[in-house]
Formats: sequence, structure tokens, C-alpha cells
Amino acid sequence: MARDGNSAGETNDGSAFLEVSNLHKRYGGVHALRGVSFSIDRGQTYHLLGENGCGKSTLIRILSGAQSATEGSLVIDGVARDRLNPIAALKAGIETVYQDLSLLPNLSVEENVALNQQLVEGDGRLFRGVSGTRLRATARAALAKVDLPTDTAFLKSRIEELPIATRQLVAIARAIAGRAGLVIMDEPTTSLTRREVENLIAVVRRLHADGVSVLFVTHKLDECKAIGGQAIVMRDGAIVRQCDIAGVSKRELAALMTGRDIDEGRYRTQPRIGQPLLETRALGKKAAFGEVSLTVAEGEILGITGLLDSGRNELARALAGVSPADSGEIRIAGSAVTLATPSQANRAGIGYVPEDRLTEGLFLEKPIEDNLVMAVLRRLRGRLGLVDRRKSAEVANGLMQDLKVAAPNIRRPVQSLSGGNQQRILIGRWLAIQPRLLILHGPTVGVDVGSKDTIFRIIQSLADGGMAVIIISDDLPELLQNCDRIAVMQKGRIVSTDAATDLDEAALYERMGAALQLGTNRNRA
Amino acid sequence: MTTDTIAAATPSLPGRVLGLLRRHPEAFAALLIVVICIAVGTINPAFWQLANLFDILRASVVRGLFALGVLMVLAAGGLDVSFSAIAAFVMYAVTKAVTLFAPDTGMVVIFCIAALGGALLGAVNGVLVNALKAPSLIVTIGTQYAYRGFLLTFIGTALFMNIPAAMDRFGQASLMTRTAENGFTVQLPAFVLVLAAAALATWAILRFTLIGRAVYAVGGRPDIAERLGYKVTTVQLFVFAWAGMLAGIGGIIHVSSNRLANPFDLAGIELSVIAAVILGGARITGGSGTVLGTLLGVVLITLVSNVLIMVGIPSTWQTAILGLFIVSAGVFFVLQRR
Repeated sequence: MARDGNSAGETNDGSAFLEVSNLHKRYGGVHALRGVSFSIDRGQTYHLLGENGCGKSTLIRILSGAQSATEGSLVIDGVARDRLNPIAALKAGIETVYQDLSLLPNLSVEENVALNQQLVEGDGRLFRGVSGTRLRATARAALAKVDLPTDTAFLKSRIEELPIATRQLVAIARAIAGRAGLVIMDEPTTSLTRREVENLIAVVRRLHADGVSVLFVTHKLDECKAIGGQAIVMRDGAIVRQCDIAGVSKRELAALMTGRDIDEGRYRTQPRIGQPLLETRALGKKAAFGEVSLTVAEGEILGITGLLDSGRNELARALAGVSPADSGEIRIAGSAVTLATPSQANRAGIGYVPEDRLTEGLFLEKPIEDNLVMAVLRRLRGRLGLVDRRKSAEVANGLMQDLKVAAPNIRRPVQSLSGGNQQRILIGRWLAIQPRLLILHGPTVGVDVGSKDTIFRIIQSLADGGMAVIIISDDLPELLQNCDRIAVMQKGRIVSTDAATDLDEAALYERMGAALQLGTNRNRA
Repeated sequence: MTTDTIAAATPSLPGRVLGLLRRHPEAFAALLIVVICIAVGTINPAFWQLANLFDILRASVVRGLFALGVLMVLAAGGLDVSFSAIAAFVMYAVTKAVTLFAPDTGMVVIFCIAALGGALLGAVNGVLVNALKAPSLIVTIGTQYAYRGFLLTFIGTALFMNIPAAMDRFGQASLMTRTAENGFTVQLPAFVLVLAAAALATWAILRFTLIGRAVYAVGGRPDIAERLGYKVTTVQLFVFAWAGMLAGIGGIIHVSSNRLANPFDLAGIELSVIAAVILGGARITGGSGTVLGTLLGVVLITLVSNVLIMVGIPSTWQTAILGLFIVSAGVFFVLQRR
């Protein structure tokens, strides 16, 4: 597509698509990238692994043209590219699927997929016509490659009407609508169910057949192992290892990423289980779940899992009073309670840490302190009914220490923290009310290995202190490592509840109704 | 996972109507228009005459031009309340200048000057929004006062009764004439063609050009649009200039049709114009809206203020009914998006 890149683009002589050498990036005094070098061949899978803050995001921003490097060189398709901007990076064939997908919610599928191609062709000039027929043709071709429908109704539907997994595929379709050589996918599987992940992997395999390489940026080591390919491991702004991912164990990878040895074994040791705290009898909500009877005792950790449509999310939200159940009974410590609103659940001693910390739980522009004490303002009331700032700071500082939040002070806005630290703030808010039951919904979604370890230790110490904990998650290793018992939901019903020590991942998949082999290209009905 | 979740599942009638309104929110205004016409026409059959249609069209032109400008700004995620001041400024300044210095100027030249002047004043809004990174509502409230103050202080406060000959002729030119049942002669003014041309141009820009698609992109998510390579500043400048241009043209038509230029005119029309665009299905938060919907919204508002009098509803009530419509449209659009 680039005038000068044609000759290099056509010859597929086995030369690398992208060569990065000795890349440095400094922000003021911070040395974010310290001489990064690697190369990416055509038609291969790569995994960029590393903890938050290791320089991954900076590297991606440079490759996608959002920032430029302080020194070092980029050779794309045989052409040296010193300064990239977003349009130049796209022209050179590097496409990025951001974690937030960067789709325009109010525009149609065809516009999202194919409009950018016409924008890039005109070098970003806006006072030009749009070819509707070409828009449609480009969109159809790209959608077909990712196995999405190509009928007019789908082309015309707005992104905001589509489920998240479909949006993900639309974002990928946009990435391959031009002539991409490399598609960077930033945490693509975070919000997908297992089945959808498999579909994504099948799509990636097809991209390889066209000579397109894919660079996954992810925290999920299990998935990387299952997908296969090359691992590029970063730590402290440098690449510490590039190797075939099959040749290293998960434990080795985690050690490379964190620089310390992290035990992948069970966190749960010698639980002290007390009196039953939460009991539900035949709890139901129309079109979501029904006949749910479960018990959690003080000091116990119960895991709940299931596919995305199994009703597990709705159950979590019902127990938190966010969207109440409409039939059945809930008892806390033996007495029946109504959980019609979050504040009722709060008063009943239930703390809820929602799954989507960005939209459901945190006030991102507000300081850490305000976020931490939000649920206990009544307790902090000083003279004249105003909030006692001294008491509030005390509570916030105490929680920051307990949870090992890495932040300079409690007045910083939450959005300045990494994902792992944000999650800790959210847990901290509920610890402030000293709940008797803590419901954690996907507690480590988008969290790196090191922070995961800390969060798990926090969960364990809470249970050891006598708190009842429910973890709702589709991260099976996380459940197996932390829970006493694991309940599996399918189509709104609990189909099994077993001791975690009697289970493994395969057994859980079978109970979820998803006994599928990861990585195989499944036949679609 | 894809096809089956996307396919619509409710073929029932209320479901279909809701689906239609979801896809085409402008149907809401169309529905209200039909209901009002049938109701008024049944109670007072005198409603069904061409003269009435002419009246409604005539009364819709200026508000329609303003509304098309507001639509453009709203679709890009902004809000413009300065258009009435721009229109007043342009109509008065141009009328005065032409009368004093070149009374023989032709209509085309007058329109060109007004369009250019309006676009420049609008572009000032765009520059300020870009430079200050301030919400456009606040910026345009500011410029509205500034433009009006400047007009009254430096250009004049006196009514102009003798407007230039070209404007007078243009205001009286008619496409068709009918005698109404009450004996008055009613004509379909030629300037409705200006509204038609403006609507066509706005529609074509939104549909067939990259800048038009960029308007919606920026209105949906400016941060993402920027990341994808759309120049947000260019889009802002363009939409405000476009709104200013239409306001300038609207001002000239206002003078031509009323045969006088009053610098105090057009004040207070802002909310009813924004209401028309919203009734036409555009979201106040930006990123949506159609030309057809906007025109329907304008007709709906004109209809309420012009024909309810025919069935004996006092004019004081019309405002209340309009308010009711706007609130119900707001509630309705929010509910069906859930």
C-alpha cells in the first residue's frame, strides 16, 4: 500500500516483517524502554508478556505510532521508519486492536470496519467523498475472514447493539481490512468466554495462513501456552527472553516476568470453617437463574463458575442487591433479609467487588481516599455532620498499607494507578465496611501475575479472619487455587458443588458444558 | 454465537413498532405529526386546505435552517446556542450595509456575504472550543452574549423598515398562490427552496463525505476518533462554521420575509430549535441524528404553535403541550435504549 513499500511487500522471501533494534524511550527522568530489540516474522504468533509497568504499553504505543522512540530503529517490511504517526503505522501495515477495542459505538459495523481504510488512503484528509460501495465490499471481505455475518442487516447494525465477543471480532476485522502485516492485540481475551476465545484463536490461525502475524499482549499464561508460538518476555523496560513458549513452564515464565519465584500451587491451607452465614433457598430471577440454593459459612471461600450465559453474573448482582432476585429466600446468619438495593446488601454485611472495575465500581477521577471511604462515610461523620478528614485519611492510609497499594499518596486519582492497584482499591472499599460476606466478581481480570499473587494472599487472610467469601470467575486456576468448594452453573441452575481438592480444570469444563479442547478449530453448526 | 444473538426475536406488532423506532427514532416525530393532523382535521375540517400547508412551510424555513446547523454541531457531540445571535448580527449588519452603501446589490451576493459572515462567526466558536478545550455549550453561551452586545453597541439598535429592494422582492416571490377559506391570499414563498437546498446539502455532506462520517465518529467518542486518525479539531471547526453559515442565511430570510430588520429579533428561539432536533431523534449527547428527523422535528414544533389555535386550544397552552412532547420524547428515547 505504501508507494515505496510495494517491492518489499510482495516478496515473501522469509525476511522478517518487523525488526526492532535497540529501542529506547525516556519520559523526563524515567527510562521506560532500555534497548529493546526483537524481530517478528510473517505469519507467526507472538506473546508479549510482562507485568504492568514493564514497558509493554510504551512499546505498543511506539509500534502503533502513538508515540515516538527516543532512540533506536524500526524496520517494517524492509523499509526503515524512524518516525511513525498513527496513519503512517497503519499504512506500513501495523494494526492495533486495543483492549477497549476502540470501536465507535454509534457507527455501523461497516463504517467501523472499513471507513478507516479510506481515511488512511487519503492520509487523514477529511474533505473527500466516501465510496459506499467500496466501504461495503471491504467490510464484507474482512468480516468473512473473521467468520462474522456479511448480510446488510449486520453491516448496518450499530456497534452498541452487539455483544462484546462480536465487537471483538469486528475490531479484528477492521485490523485486517487493510493490508496488515502485523496485528497487535492488547489483552484480547479479557472479556471473552472460553468458547469465544477458541473462536478468536481459530481466526488468528486463518490470519497466519495469509501471512499476517499476531502479537498478543496478555497476562493469561495458560492461554498463551495453549495457543503456542513465541514468547517475548519483558521486565523493567528490557526483553529478558524470546523463545518458543512450549519450551518454558508457566512457573518459569512467571519468574521471568516478575524476577521472583511465584508458587502456582494452592493458596488455601487449613481453612477454619464456622457457622453458615449466607443461605439461599430456591433463589430465582426471571430469564437469568432459578432454584439456586447455596450456603457459605464464615471463614469459607466458595467459588462459582459457568459460561457467560450460565447466570453466574446475574446471581452475583442479585446477591449484591444490584439487580435483585424475584423469587426465593436469602438468609444471613439465620434471619431472612431483603436485598433489593446495594445499600440494603451493604447494611446486611455484604460487600461486592464488581467485575468491571472501570464502569461499575470506581470513580476514576476521584482520589484514592474518596474511593476507599465511600461506603463508610456515615462512620466518619464529625462535627456538624461533615466528614472528618482526619479520620478518613486514617482509614484510607490503613487500608493502603494492608493492601500494599503502590501509590505515592491517598490524594492521587485512582486512574493514575495500574489495573492491579485499582482492583486493590476496590477491595479496600469493601474492607472498610468490615463486611461479613465479600463477593468478588472476577477479582483478577486484567491484573498481572505479581498483583494476582498479592490479591490472592489478601483473600486468604480475609477468610482466615472469619469472613465468608464468594468468588465468581471464569478463571479456573484462580478458583482451584483459592476456594474450598466450587459450584458450577449451567443455564441458570447450579449443576454441581464439589470440594476444590476433588476437582481439576478438565472436570470443571465438563460440568460447565464446555468440554472443548482449546486450540482446535471446532466445527460450527 | 453471532448470528443467533443478533437476529431479532420479536415479530409481534408492539415489538415491531419499538424496533422501528429504535432504528429510526425520527419516526417518533412523524407519528406525532400524523396524530396531530388527524386530530385537528377531524375536529375542524378547515384544517385540510393547501393554504394551511403553505403557512406551516413558510413558518418552518428559518427555524429549519437553524435546526440543520444545530444538528451538525449536535451530531459532532457539541451544542450551539449562539446561532440566533449570529443570525441577528448577520441579518442586521448586512441589511444596514447594503442599504447604506450598495442598495442595488443582488440577492445572490447578499446571500453569499451572509453565508460567509455567518461561517466566520461560527468558526470563531470552533476555534474557541478547540483552543480552550471548553464545553461548546459554555463557549457558545459566551459568544451569544458577545455577538449580541457587539451588534447593539456598534452597529445599531434602530429598526430598518426600508430593506433593500432585492431582499424585498425575494421575500415576496412565490411558487404558488391559494386563497384560503377566510378570504386571505396565501402563497408558498420561494424561500422554502433555500431550506430544501440546505437540507439536501447537509444530508449529502453527512452521507457521502468523509467529514460527514467523521462528524458522527467524533460525536460518538472523540478520544477513539482521535486515536483512529480523525482530526477532531478540523471536525469542530467545520461543524460550527456550517451552523454559522446556515444561521446567516436564515437571518437574511427572516428579514426578507418580515420586510424589516430588527436587531432584537430571534432572541430566545434557541431552545425551541434544539428541541426540534431532539424531537427528530438526535441524542443530546451527540453522535446521532438525521436531516429527515430534524425537518420532521421542526414541522412538529411549527404545527403545534400554528394549528392548535384552529381547534380552540389557546396559545398559552401550546407551550405547555410542546413541553409535554419534549419530555415524553426524552423519556421515550431513554427507555427504548435500555
